[in-house]
Amino acid sequence: MRFAIAMFSFLAIASIIGTVLKQNEPYNNYIIKFGQFWFEIFEKLGMYNVYQAFWFLLILVFLIISTSLCISRNTPKILKDYKSFQDRVREKSLLSFKHSYQFPLKNFSVKKTISFLKSHNYKVKHKVIEGNGDLIVAKKGDLQKFGYIFTHLAIVIISIGGLLDGNLVFKVQELIGTKQIQMEDQPLSKIPLKGRMSEDNLSYRASILLSEGDTKTAAILRAKEGYLVQEIPFSITLKNFNIKHYSTGQPKSFESELLVTDKKTGETINKTISVNKPLTYKGVTIYQAAFEDGGSQLDLLVWDLNSSQPSFKMNSEIFKNNKLTFENQNLTLEFKDFRKFNILEVGQNEEKKPKPTNVGPNFLYKVRNESGQAKEYQTYQLPMLVDGKYFFMSGMRNSPQEEFKYLKIPADDNLSIEGFMVLKSLLNNPQKVQNAINKGINTSAFTTAGKKEAFKLGAKNIINAFVGGGYNSVVDEMDLNIPDQASIADKEKAIKTYINIIYLVSQELVRGYQVKNNDDIVFPINDAPRFIQDALTAYSDSFFYGVPLYLELKEFKEVQASGLQLTKSPGQFWVYLGSILLVLGIFCMIYIQEIRLWIFRKKGSNRLIVSLATNRDRMDFDQYAIEFKDKIKKIT
Amino acid sequence: MGLKMLPNIKDKFMNYSFSLLLACLTIIAISKFNNFMDNYELIILIGSAITFTWMGNVWSNFRKLFLYTFLLSFISIYFYKGTLEGIELNFILKYFLSSQSAIMWMTALYPLSLVTYWVYLFSKQDFYGNLATKITWIATMMGFVGLLVRWYESYLIGIDVGHIPVSNLYEVFVLFCLITSLLYLHYEEKLEIKKMGAFVLIIITAAVAFILWYTFEKGANEIQPLVPALQSYWMKIHVPANFIGYGAFAMAAMISVAYLLKDKGIIGSYLPELNVLDEMTYKAISIGFIFFTIATILGAVWAAEAWGGYWSWDPKETWALIVWLNYAAWLHLRLIKGLRGTVLAWWSLGGLVITTFAFLGVNLFLSGLHSYGEL
Ligand code: HEM
Repeated sequence: MRFAIAMFSFLAIASIIGTVLKQNEPYNNYIIKFGQFWFEIFEKLGMYNVYQAFWFLLILVFLIISTSLCISRNTPKILKDYKSFQDRVREKSLLSFKHSYQFPLKNFSVKKTISFLKSHNYKVKHKVIEGNGDLIVAKKGDLQKFGYIFTHLAIVIISIGGLLDGNLVFKVQELIGTKQIQMEDQPLSKIPLKGRMSEDNLSYRASILLSEGDTKTAAILRAKEGYLVQEIPFSITLKNFNIKHYSTGQPKSFESELLVTDKKTGETINKTISVNKPLTYKGVTIYQAAFEDGGSQLDLLVWDLNSSQPSFKMNSEIFKNNKLTFENQNLTLEFKDFRKFNILEVGQNEEKKPKPTNVGPNFLYKVRNESGQAKEYQTYQLPMLVDGKYFFMSGMRNSPQEEFKYLKIPADDNLSIEGFMVLKSLLNNPQKVQNAINKGINTSAFTTAGKKEAFKLGAKNIINAFVGGGYNSVVDEMDLNIPDQASIADKEKAIKTYINIIYLVSQELVRGYQVKNNDDIVFPINDAPRFIQDALTAYSDSFFYGVPLYLELKEFKEVQASGLQLTKSPGQFWVYLGSILLVLGIFCMIYIQEIRLWIFRKKGSNRLIVSLATNRDRMDFDQYAIEFKDKIKKIT
Repeated sequence: MGLKMLPNIKDKFMNYSFSLLLACLTIIAISKFNNFMDNYELIILIGSAITFTWMGNVWSNFRKLFLYTFLLSFISIYFYKGTLEGIELNFILKYFLSSQSAIMWMTALYPLSLVTYWVYLFSKQDFYGNLATKITWIATMMGFVGLLVRWYESYLIGIDVGHIPVSNLYEVFVLFCLITSLLYLHYEEKLEIKKMGAFVLIIITAAVAFILWYTFEKGANEIQPLVPALQSYWMKIHVPANFIGYGAFAMAAMISVAYLLKDKGIIGSYLPELNVLDEMTYKAISIGFIFFTIATILGAVWAAEAWGGYWSWDPKETWALIVWLNYAAWLHLRLIKGLRGTVLAWWSLGGLVITTFAFLGVNLFLSGLHSYGEL
């Protein structure tokens, strides 16, 4: 008993560790968290997958043994108890019971009493004690005792079921060296026998990732930092993967259309599985577990944010890399992921609460330079509504631990990025800028030619600074231009003026462009000021974007991949059986009250002794005893 | 146990009518909505009808609750006239019977009944005791109306969005209040321990506070469609069974508080006898234990279908196991070692901490496969 309790406490503590320390993470995360020293100690203790650790399984084994011993020790006693009526009691001991009553007889009949007891579900035995009198022994609720056997047997059965489904086979094979966890990524055919678990592995939970159209003949078993190949008795083809959505945009179902072919007989099965609706075939259950991109194709436009160069086309595929020479740098674009639907909490405006909304496709890629450093980008295809205005959002971060910082490029009236790109091209065209400045001066209030010339020069410098490095660069420039003794107020005033100049020049550029391209109105008519301000901010921010390389997603062909889980679980039956037994047992123990009752009439006496007892002292038994004795009194 | 009271003629008549009514309602529901239900849902419907019939027959106040709840729900649904705009247009809906209003009434009435129970405890006047019980019944009724109408509302948002309101933390907290108070009301009637309301209502009021915070701070009362993992008939059984367990454990812990107070002589003269409290704690824990066991097993069966394994050592699963082990130990100590008194009272109070962690803490602090109830 003590031992079992100790085991149970152990089990509980180990389980808690497993919930607090995230299990089965990449080992690198643990090294970062604990440092090399503790990492190794914890690894030895199996802390990263507690529930598969050797000692954890050992506890389970001990639990099974100790509970079995307990059952085997107690069961004979219980059976004996079940059969016996305890009819060898003495009068004296009857009288010593807590519920022992005596009352005078009126019309006592053994037969009538027995039938009365039987009608109250008692099992009854009548014994005539030579020279002493009549003893009626009755009992009910002795199923309660079986509750003990049921619950404890259930624990054993459930534990055995659990062990059956643990990866014991592999553990043993790893121990004796016939199997070995594989660490390197290799094609299936190259993996040695040591890294393969055979088809008749007792139990497993393996996974398969299938792109649409793909067929696979084996699954992958994750093990610590590596993996093993799990052979399966059939091949699986993913014909189609389908995500259905609610009208609000949230995903409603993930469905994989599968073709399963038996390797031996060639028998095929077509079945669509989804979450909560798996397929069981040849003792293996196939579940919809995950999904990801399966190599979508993207048609992109490549923009240089800081030049007047036109864009050019580029085709790419997820999980493939593109090489690109950009502003004299050799860059590698690594395409990582594409998502057609993205549910974000987007606010319509300040007053309304954010609501989950589908904001359309995005894609994830890394830009790696020659020295191997990479920045990660996440770009949305469609503009998003932010505070009542539409922006193209593209996030950048230096490492996966960081949050994305977003570049917000305002959309024009056609909800296109074109307007911004026109403006940045104009700004990068010195001739056009010069013209705009000239025009601005002509309509301005400057009177003397000298002042006009001075302003022209100043404005040109400011624009140059802005075009070459955004507002920050303007501020740097300004520090050179303004004498040191200028007060802060003066500086602020100057900054305002400069910003205003940049704005006015941009406005002039836009106006000039619109005059020339009469029918091609790409700028919002009503809200040009706001658009230009947002565009200038975006242009300025683009200097913090890592590379001034913007990828605009034009078209895509989505290819999805479905993550399947394959489970072989022979222990499931036993676990369920044990569970039923457990519920039954607990019910017996808690809700069945064992009651024993003795009625004794001493020969020649005109008094009757009635005693009641139960094995568990409970208040409602007291009440029952008092009421039941009154009933007996009535009929005797 | 105890003597079975012979139901009088009126009671018998009521029982028959009630059974007949439920049978009729079930038949109407099946004939009307058969096309929308699969076999499991049909079984659940019939199973529920039988359960409610049985409960109504053995507990006449439950019968009343059932009748009033359904009546009010049907009135409410009638006023909706099939659109969500109904809430703004109709006075009764807006202030009483829309799902949100009904639940708000519940959140107002439970604290009120808590106060009334305390007045009763110290004044010892039956008037206040009966009043407190009445308020608790009405609060419970409003809560049930709120949930039932919410169920209907979810279908107004979209036919494919509609689902039983036990799918997120907000809804299960309401359920928790309702189940805990029903369990309490049942024992109050059977064991004549009216004074315990002053304690049990504390935990319910705490849950109400959480609901209010969750509603106003996080907008959690909005109905969201079900993520794929939750689209299963198992949810309909697993979640309520779990909450009978949680509710019973919570009630047991509050009675243990009363036990400990009495034991220390604090307001002892106002409280029932120690052995009555002890017995009630035992009853609550044993009913909680059996439902919690069943719920955990059903959870495993569901997990086998949704996650590909009946046991994945997901934090919620693991903590359910820890809760279970805790109360198994409690029952062992009491039944086998014959332990009574303060140790077990403290233990059951500690059990509430573990239970709360399994119920709420896991969602707050640990991540896992369970997909509902992120804060
Ligand atoms: C599910 C709830 C459980 C209930 C209601 C329960 C109930 C009982 C009862 C009534 C006894 C006393 C039997 C007797 O002597 O008449 C007992 C003994 C015992 N139980 Fe449990 N039990 C449960 C679960 C467990 C579990 C999970 C274990 C873990 C192994 C366990 C281990 C033991 C042991 C070791 C004994 C002592 C046997 C002996 O006399 O040596 N029980 N239990």
